Amino acid sequence: MELATERTVSPPTLGGVKVLGLHKSYGKHAVLHDVNLEMTEGEVVSIIGPSGAGKSTFLRCLNYLEVPTAGTITIGDSTVDAGARRPDRACLDRLRRVTGMVFQNFNLFPHLTVRENITLPQMKVLGRSRDEANAVADSLLNRVGLAAKSDQHPARLSGGQQQRIAIARALALSPKVMLFDEPTSALDPELGLEVLAVMRDLADEGMTMIVVTHEMHFARDVSDRVMVMADGRVLELGPSEQVMTAPTHERTKKFLRAVLDR
Amino acid sequence: MTFVDQWISWLPALTPGLGVSLTLTGLCLLFGMPLGLVLALMLEGPAKLLRAAALIVVEVGRGAPALVLLYLLYFGLPEGGVTLSAFATGVISLSWTTGAYASELFRSGLAAVPAGQREAALTSGLRGWSGFRYIILPQAVRISTPPLASLAVTIFQTSSLAFVIAVPELMSKAYALGSITFEYLSVFALTSVLYGSITLLALAFVRLAEQRLSRHL
Amino acid sequence: MTVVITGASLLIGALLGLPLVAARRSAWSPLRALATGYIDIVRAIPPITWLFLIYFGLPQYALRLDSVSASIVGFSVIASAYMAETYRSGLLSIPRGQWEAATALGLKFLPKARYVITPQAFKVTLPAVAAYAISLLKDSALASTIGVHEITYQAGLASRATHQGLLAFSIAGLLYIAMSVPLAVAARRVDRVLRRKLEVA
Repeated sequence: MELATERTVSPPTLGGVKVLGLHKSYGKHAVLHDVNLEMTEGEVVSIIGPSGAGKSTFLRCLNYLEVPTAGTITIGDSTVDAGARRPDRACLDRLRRVTGMVFQNFNLFPHLTVRENITLPQMKVLGRSRDEANAVADSLLNRVGLAAKSDQHPARLSGGQQQRIAIARALALSPKVMLFDEPTSALDPELGLEVLAVMRDLADEGMTMIVVTHEMHFARDVSDRVMVMADGRVLELGPSEQVMTAPTHERTKKFLRAVLDR
Repeated sequence: MTFVDQWISWLPALTPGLGVSLTLTGLCLLFGMPLGLVLALMLEGPAKLLRAAALIVVEVGRGAPALVLLYLLYFGLPEGGVTLSAFATGVISLSWTTGAYASELFRSGLAAVPAGQREAALTSGLRGWSGFRYIILPQAVRISTPPLASLAVTIFQTSSLAFVIAVPELMSKAYALGSITFEYLSVFALTSVLYGSITLLALAFVRLAEQRLSRHL
Repeated sequence: MTVVITGASLLIGALLGLPLVAARRSAWSPLRALATGYIDIVRAIPPITWLFLIYFGLPQYALRLDSVSASIVGFSVIASAYMAETYRSGLLSIPRGQWEAATALGLKFLPKARYVITPQAFKVTLPAVAAYAISLLKDSALASTIGVHEITYQAGLASRATHQGLLAFSIAGLLYIAMSVPLAVAARRVDRVLRRKLEVA
């Protein structure tokens, strides 16, 4: 069910992402200006840039946690056209069904056990039975290496462990695209490594991922392409090797120098 | 030594009153707490009419002294054609007070749930009522529990006011005893001890429970 | 009369609360235990019991007070306990670093308290004091039970005379609510002014 105001958008591949002309302003102040991104299924794109560049805002527009003022978002077979009228409930639900999000501060449900964190959304959203949900939860917990902790409450686990469970929780709903909002920024460097390892495995398995991050090694080594943003605009978008070692924009060079030569 | 004997001799006269006070408190909490939750939900909900109605109930319940509300219902209900026993009137009035204060505590609890939880619920597909029921509400209730427990103890103290509308609770028994023996100081001192010790015990219990609960959050 | 009792009790309570909180925080354990005991016990007794104790009980062995004085004494004692607790929260909320910085700079106790701690504590405790003032206003209604001619008492008289209890007490209730509004508004205004003037680093 596409909206009536759909323009001629060529349908992307099953797990692909197509964002056209995304804008977001608060009154006169524009925080996102004409951001475009096209991804094929299985691609991993890292978004880097100075603080306040709008990276997180852009990411959060993709699942409508923030409301863009203009542009189209197509994820898989779900399209949303911002700006015209406010998209209806069903549209937004579908958008959120095909995306999974991992937050900077995990946002695990503290009153539920690790297992319940992963099974509850499955049962309520996808209608899976308790047994099915548990099976999925177990396999995912094994995958992130935390099967032993399934009956504990999140508060008793380290940050790295909590974030890995957050990833499992998002994966449990079988999203087409995983969105990561600075997943390691709130973690000690060592704990961050565990999380990055899981993300790397995920990428190798072919998940389409968009990662807002400050982890430059991840951006260069794991992602296929890198998008550099500053002041709400896209400065560069290209293969990671190229962007990180030989950027074209002066601003990008300045940023990379500050980050890489510390 | 003699005043302790005095006190002990008075206990049989006073304890039925204490029983009534505790029953009164218990019933008010039983009706008042859920009422508070309902009022809080009405206030936070989208329906304007419900919000306005809840606002009036809460503002009057909190703004007017509990004593005035007691008198209001005690004299007012019969005028409106409804005749209830003093005890029932006391329960209704104090439940109103309880609910009004409890609703504010529930609202604070709801506001105190971190914003990230709402977002996580949304992105996990749990939106609207589902998200509220399974994610937000349980956390809000857990957060509100310590202040609600303090409120419960305060309501126990407030039950002492039911005396003015002839509910046979502790204060009224104490006053009666005082007018017979003229040992007002001693009688009321004993009454204070009874109220005070139960209050302090309950508060200590609340603090203990608070520590237990905060282990998860 | 309501205003008189509330105002007087609040004032006396606020003043008494100061030495009380000092005692509560003192390093000397007997004093601290005494103060803590006083605060906890006073707050654990229902106000009406306390009023009756003073009004009916004291005349037996000590002095006979008229109902107004008894109310003021009673509420002042209760207020002092609550105020001490409020002051204590306010003091606790000041970051430890402030005390340490002041001491490191060589400030002695009195100037430290006066220039560094009190302004910051004041800003925090003001809303709590305002809230307590409103609550004290409502508690003052209890004075009617020992015969003080305040709002609730008058409403009671009116109700018995005219048999219009619903009306009489509704008006009384509305009066209390109405009186608490200017208090809340004034408190918010003062709070805003203070916030601007005392921006904490």
